[in-house]
Amino acid sequence: MAKAMLNDVTKCIGCRACQVACKEWNDLPAEQTTNRGTYENPPDLSADTWTKIIFKEYSEDGTLRWLFRKEQCMHCTDAACVNVCPTGALQRHPTLGFVTYVRHKCSGCGYCVEFCPFDIPRMDRESNKLLGTGLMGGKCDFCFDRVSNGLEPACAKACPTGAIKFGEWEDLVIEGKQRVQVLKETHPDANLYGEYELDGLHMLYVLDERPEVYDLPVDPQMPAAATALNVGKWTGVGLGLLAGAGMFGAAMLARARMIERKKKEESAES
Amino acid sequence: MQKAEKEKGFWASIFESIGDIIATFIHDALFDDPGRPGVRRFSLQARAFHWIVAGLVILMGLTGLILFVPGWGAIALTGWTRIIHRICAYAFGIVLVLYFITYPKAGLAFIKEAFTWKKEAIGWVKAATDYYTGGDESKMPPQGHINPGQNLWQLITIVCGVIFFVTGAILCFGKGAVSPGVFQWSLFTHALAFIIGGCMFIVHVLLGTVHPRMSESLRSMITGKVSEEYAKSHYGKWYEEISKQQ
Repeated sequence: MAKAMLNDVTKCIGCRACQVACKEWNDLPAEQTTNRGTYENPPDLSADTWTKIIFKEYSEDGTLRWLFRKEQCMHCTDAACVNVCPTGALQRHPTLGFVTYVRHKCSGCGYCVEFCPFDIPRMDRESNKLLGTGLMGGKCDFCFDRVSNGLEPACAKACPTGAIKFGEWEDLVIEGKQRVQVLKETHPDANLYGEYELDGLHMLYVLDERPEVYDLPVDPQMPAAATALNVGKWTGVGLGLLAGAGMFGAAMLARARMIERKKKEESAES
Repeated sequence: MQKAEKEKGFWASIFESIGDIIATFIHDALFDDPGRPGVRRFSLQARAFHWIVAGLVILMGLTGLILFVPGWGAIALTGWTRIIHRICAYAFGIVLVLYFITYPKAGLAFIKEAFTWKKEAIGWVKAATDYYTGGDESKMPPQGHINPGQNLWQLITIVCGVIFFVTGAILCFGKGAVSPGVFQWSLFTHALAFIIGGCMFIVHVLLGTVHPRMSESLRSMITGKVSEEYAKSHYGKWYEEISKQQ
């Protein structure tokens, strides 16, 4: 059964325990950052920061609101990154539904970075590697090691307010819809994000405002070029083998026939 | 005599001819021997250009392809294959520009030849299957300086080359400057050019090395010359033309 996480943004207090828990469990180093005049830190996702809370100051009808949203991989069912990944470092789990990333399989091509409709995967330069251009990719892998052993993801475990819930995808969709109904009384734009997007995201959001307000794309789509690349990849392998085997076969056949004819001509002469 | 040939075997003869070819290549590259018998097909600068570009293209192909090989991809993660890929691309560009500055006539003639399709093409297409699987040579109508297969390859090197340079420049410098859609389609087109060019490259290399019908083509790209017999049988029309000129 497909698992999912539900982020109820109205319950988030911006404590960032999830950020810390993610770093702790996945053994990711902390980043050196500077004060940018906001509590939001670090400024962006990176190969070493797989989730973060986005702090947004949003004013509506003269009242200022402080909005929080947990940014991380959406674990799309119809995932563009999986479509374009040439080495199988990114794979969709067939039963649990989320998208895993295996660093040692990654070639660092960075296609996932270019094709992700949510701009989530990161490919960072590592300064200490050979020639100073070593690459390192990273994104949330849904705490695959924990979930496959019956535990909940580290961020969900750490959340003190219940803003991040972990469970069965279907259950969370129902729960999210019920929560949206409650929210609609005070927030008419409340909605559940992720039920239909890209065939169902495994990171669901209960939002009290329109998705645009939370910088989420409205109706994200699989880029056509991603599908083309996936098809082209296998067509290319096939055509390459065909060209090689075909031409080599033709050469061998030609060799055999030419020798045979030469023999015939020689025996005819003598 | 016949017995000795039988004993030599296929691979032994290949290795022997490779050694022979390397020796001839070094000699001819150094001296460009005008006394060597045969018909001149390729000038020294064309041959030098061919082999420099061949080396660069093979390096670029391998360093690009490695991104797509599961299990080998981690080699690319350290970054040096990317640097080789880019250095080769710059080198290719520089060599190309230098060639066109130094030999503008030869360069333009190459492009013109690639885009000119001759009447002999129809006859070649009809006879090609039998011809390249060892059929009777006399069934192939006489061809010009290059046959339509070589003409197609010449055309594809130009078209794919342009696609590689344009999309490669977008991928190298365009990040952030072009829209994500353009960037994504550039990635796809770069890969598509590799598939088309790569398949033709495989065919080109196999025809030039192991195919018995094109027995003198590799030698001609090294020494610049083919035997009169080979010129007559493979490029009959061209041989007639150059015979008239002399």
